[in-house]
Amino acid sequence: MERYLRLEKLGEGTYATVYKGKRISSGEIVALKEITLDPDEGAPSTAIREVSLMKELRHNNVVRLYDVIHTETRLLLVFEYMDLDLKKYMDLHGQNGALQPTVCCSLMYQLLLGLAYCHQRCVLHRDLKPQNLLINARGELKLGDFGLARAFGIPVNTYSNEVVTLWYRAPDVLLGSRNYTTTIDVWSAGCVMAEMYTGRPLFPGATNEDQLQRIFRALGTPNELTWPGVSALPSWREDFAQYPSRPLAQLLPQLANDPCALDLLARLLQYQPERRISAEEALVHPYFNSLHQSAAQQS
Amino acid sequence: MSSSSSTSTRPRSGDTPRARQTTLAALPNAVVTREQFTATPSAKRGVSRSLESQLRALGCEFIQAAGILLKLPQVTMATAQVLLQRFYYVESLLDVSLLDAVAGALFTAAKVEETPRRIPDVVNVLHYLRQRRRGGDTAPLDGFTQDYYDLRDGLLATESRLLVALGFDVHVQLPYGLMVNYLQAMGLAGNHALAQRAWNYLNDALRTPVYVLYQPHVLACAAVDLATRHCRVPMPTSPPWWEVFEAEADEIRAVCGWLGRLYADPALPANLPLTSAELARHLATL
Repeated sequence: MERYLRLEKLGEGTYATVYKGKRISSGEIVALKEITLDPDEGAPSTAIREVSLMKELRHNNVVRLYDVIHTETRLLLVFEYMDLDLKKYMDLHGQNGALQPTVCCSLMYQLLLGLAYCHQRCVLHRDLKPQNLLINARGELKLGDFGLARAFGIPVNTYSNEVVTLWYRAPDVLLGSRNYTTTIDVWSAGCVMAEMYTGRPLFPGATNEDQLQRIFRALGTPNELTWPGVSALPSWREDFAQYPSRPLAQLLPQLANDPCALDLLARLLQYQPERRISAEEALVHPYFNSLHQSAAQQS
Repeated sequence: MSSSSSTSTRPRSGDTPRARQTTLAALPNAVVTREQFTATPSAKRGVSRSLESQLRALGCEFIQAAGILLKLPQVTMATAQVLLQRFYYVESLLDVSLLDAVAGALFTAAKVEETPRRIPDVVNVLHYLRQRRRGGDTAPLDGFTQDYYDLRDGLLATESRLLVALGFDVHVQLPYGLMVNYLQAMGLAGNHALAQRAWNYLNDALRTPVYVLYQPHVLACAAVDLATRHCRVPMPTSPPWWEVFEAEADEIRAVCGWLGRLYADPALPANLPLTSAELARHLATL
């Protein structure tokens, strides 16, 4: 701890407290995540996963883990300092939380860049939400909080389905699927995209059941024709309320005159996981053309 | 006192060009350097090569047996065995008791593989196995006895020590899934006897150092090679089939060699030292 100076408290998580800190040798500002070791549980598994995966990730759109300091009673993770998370950014810079379309586009591009990198390195984030997307003063967005992440690669066993905050959880996971893969993060990215435009969570469900209801009401109740295999999922019920599918533009009037944005969103929020667009494919979607054009003009 | 993972002498990640090419195992497994492999921390303090391999194999046997009693999946047991193997390239058997390392590796692997087990369960299963090996009382421990506290504290201290020693490199890419994929790709997955035999080779190989010496695709190819030779399944030789999977003949031969030596070794002696103190006494009598 002597190498870092602890400054003000930034927040408290489920298993850790985060402080602003300063590296004494260089004066650099960092984020210090302090984890207390539980005498009955040892090191939290979330911390083990976060460190083991983040150590390997080096990308401009993924928060850097600089150092790990381990004492008998505590674990201290030293992260790159980020000014605020996307939730606070929206509250601060949005109009009732809703961000300008050009800002949405730039942030979405960075989110997908970071996500494509993680997926290419076989890391699932599994908990994408505005609170875990961090933004610094330069307007750079980075993926943070890998406490629920895991390495995948060769699917031998099935994964836990206690992942992702309810509001951003993919319908296949809500229906009990445990064989999910990178597609789980892509759904969350879609929910975040809609939220950036409207300032409000897209599907703020209260329970698993309510979450599914909200998705079905917006996108139509799926069936074997629209989503082959859906009725074989563990939590599928024949008596789900039947809702017709509606065009996304009706759901999100803010996007009504932006067909490219609507098209990308529809591909991110695709019911059938196998047909959901990948982060890598999404990066070359025409929605981002304007971004490349303005970048080309600037340079 | 604090220590930083960035300064520890953990095994380095395999950064050979081949490991990078393998798209499936994008986080390559940590492999040990030649120096780490020949001069282990235990060897530097007088533990003979053969005794160290026997103790490693015994630790793996304990993990496998404990895993079955704790109803853990094979993936978790395999991960724990690889963690144990990696750990003793950084720490000495004279500093961390084999039993504690077994407990720490198993407890950590169970967390990493999302199959967590409670401390009292892990402690009691290890107590049972220890007593069975020593011929003592196998009744479960009362949670308030000194014996229980010692085992629990050993487990927790070793978990921390293991995380620091390995610099949190606790993810293990296992070859089981790859091996099945390879059999499928070659149209051999329907041959259950063959697949089972290859699977068993991968289990047995956990007791040898091959999981810290080679990447999973090599282990998978070696298991398929041994199994097809044993079951007399003819395989393409020109070019050899394993080239498709980016493995090389000499690597496969080396893995097969380790397995051959494992099967040639006699059974583990009954009186192997299970703790650092017992090991120190054993060395003093030599």
